[in-house]
Amino acid sequence: MLEIRSARKMFYKGQADEKTALNDLSLRLETGDFGVVIGSNGAGKSSMLNAISGALVLDSGKVLINGDDVTAMPVHKRAMRLARVFQDPMKGTAASMTVAENMLLAELRAARRTLRRGLNPTRLAAYKERLSLLGLGLENRLDTRVELLSGGQRQSLSLIMAVGGSPELLLLDEHTAALDPRTADIVMQATIRAVEALKLTTLMVTHNMQHAVDFGNRVIMLDAGRVRLEIAGREKAAITVPDLIGHFSVKTDRMFLAS
Amino acid sequence: MDLLQNTVSSFIALVPVTLAQSLILAFVVLGIMIPFRMLSFPDLTSEGAFPLGGCVCGVLMAAGMSPLAAILIALLAGFVAGCCTAFIHLRFRIHTLLAGILMMTMLYSINLRIMGRSNLSVFGSTTIFDWVPFLQPGFPASKIVMAGAFGLLVFALLLHYFRTEKGTAVRAVGANPDMAEAQGINVWLATIGGVGLAGAFSAAGGALMVQSQGFADVNMGLGILINGLAALMIGEAIVGKSSVPRQLAAPFVGAIVYYQLVSFCLAAGMPPPDLKLATGLFVLAMLALPSLKRSRGPAAARETIRE
Repeated sequence: MLEIRSARKMFYKGQADEKTALNDLSLRLETGDFGVVIGSNGAGKSSMLNAISGALVLDSGKVLINGDDVTAMPVHKRAMRLARVFQDPMKGTAASMTVAENMLLAELRAARRTLRRGLNPTRLAAYKERLSLLGLGLENRLDTRVELLSGGQRQSLSLIMAVGGSPELLLLDEHTAALDPRTADIVMQATIRAVEALKLTTLMVTHNMQHAVDFGNRVIMLDAGRVRLEIAGREKAAITVPDLIGHFSVKTDRMFLAS
Repeated sequence: MDLLQNTVSSFIALVPVTLAQSLILAFVVLGIMIPFRMLSFPDLTSEGAFPLGGCVCGVLMAAGMSPLAAILIALLAGFVAGCCTAFIHLRFRIHTLLAGILMMTMLYSINLRIMGRSNLSVFGSTTIFDWVPFLQPGFPASKIVMAGAFGLLVFALLLHYFRTEKGTAVRAVGANPDMAEAQGINVWLATIGGVGLAGAFSAAGGALMVQSQGFADVNMGLGILINGLAALMIGEAIVGKSSVPRQLAAPFVGAIVYYQLVSFCLAAGMPPPDLKLATGLFVLAMLALPSLKRSRGPAAARETIRE
């Protein structure tokens, strides 16, 4: 379960270019929920994800994961509870290290790292099996440095790394946006399979309205740093792309009127 | 012909002495390599940590302490110096190179304070090189055996460490700090520990050097960094850096080859004052090579370096 209570964040406070990123944002995601976050650029989607992962320190408000207040926890401590796939395939993997080493780092995300040898035969076999589920041939490239993989392969690896160990919360930050349509589809399908198989509580940011319609049981629309619209349950199941775009244009019209 | 013969014979006569020296200085090269390659933290602390180790070791030996204990305490001092550099970078967001310059400048005064004067003779004190059995103390052979054994031990320990779960995490911090943090790795702890470890190796090199040459001098670190870098470049050119064992072997191989090269140049009649210029040009050439190979336009940043 994820809960955000009245999160506020302002950048460049007191300066001419002062900008409100999060404006009293509250959000609740039950265990097993798959929330899809949409909203125009600057609506606060990234700020919200960063606030959840700990990369952004809030001015006020709280973040709770499964009831525990994690607001004061640094990124590396929260990593024990949540995993994140970034938009940029470069960001989620260590390029100069091998596929197997990256898998090891992910496996140890929530564990105590010891002085025992990291890559042992048992682990290598397990990684091989998990990577073979992707069907990209990564299982035969365990010793390849990640920098030699394509963007799609890297992003698939990031995904496998993130869902391994069943994190309490999975954050997907436009994780298919940088990929070509076919690869994006492969990564998206793999995401859905993993989320459903492991029943992960997931929060996915996307600009793809079709994805927002097709996936998840809850759509959350952000605007000006707060939740403007939340659609769940039967209503979510019946929603179409034009409906969602309609909500966007209402907002745009209002912005025109305001200016 | 005569010149060549003279050069070769004086070079060969110097091979053992140079080898002993290079095995000691390999620790400094290691102290440069670990932050630079494993942590993407180009660091200049070694220029101050090397004489720091020497001064601490010299003072303690002059006070009658056992040579091994003196080395261990010097090692500790170097560790603290490295930790300080990393802390300055992390806490105040000062560029790693500037943090290193600050640290090595401040260390110069500290080193002078530790010794109380600019140089100190420890000639006649027992050194760890006297402990080598079956060999006459004071000869290069005993230094080669002792420094070589130390080097092998450190190499084996580091090789094991960087393959453990903890060591893999430390390497991840160098490869991608953001990713490392998102994988639950404490970037601060790994950076401070890693750069501290490098400082400890540089200081150990200084301590061994003092025991080898019989005196400590505050200026003994002058130019050690550029020599170390040149040695590292040579080592990486010979054994490569594509895997952990290769990357760890590079400082040792590089140091051995580099100092023999220097010795050869000197034997061939190169004036010693020109040595720094030659070394600098060599390092520049090695660093510029990748961008020259790309023929046109400035190269994209080859190394990922922390701001």
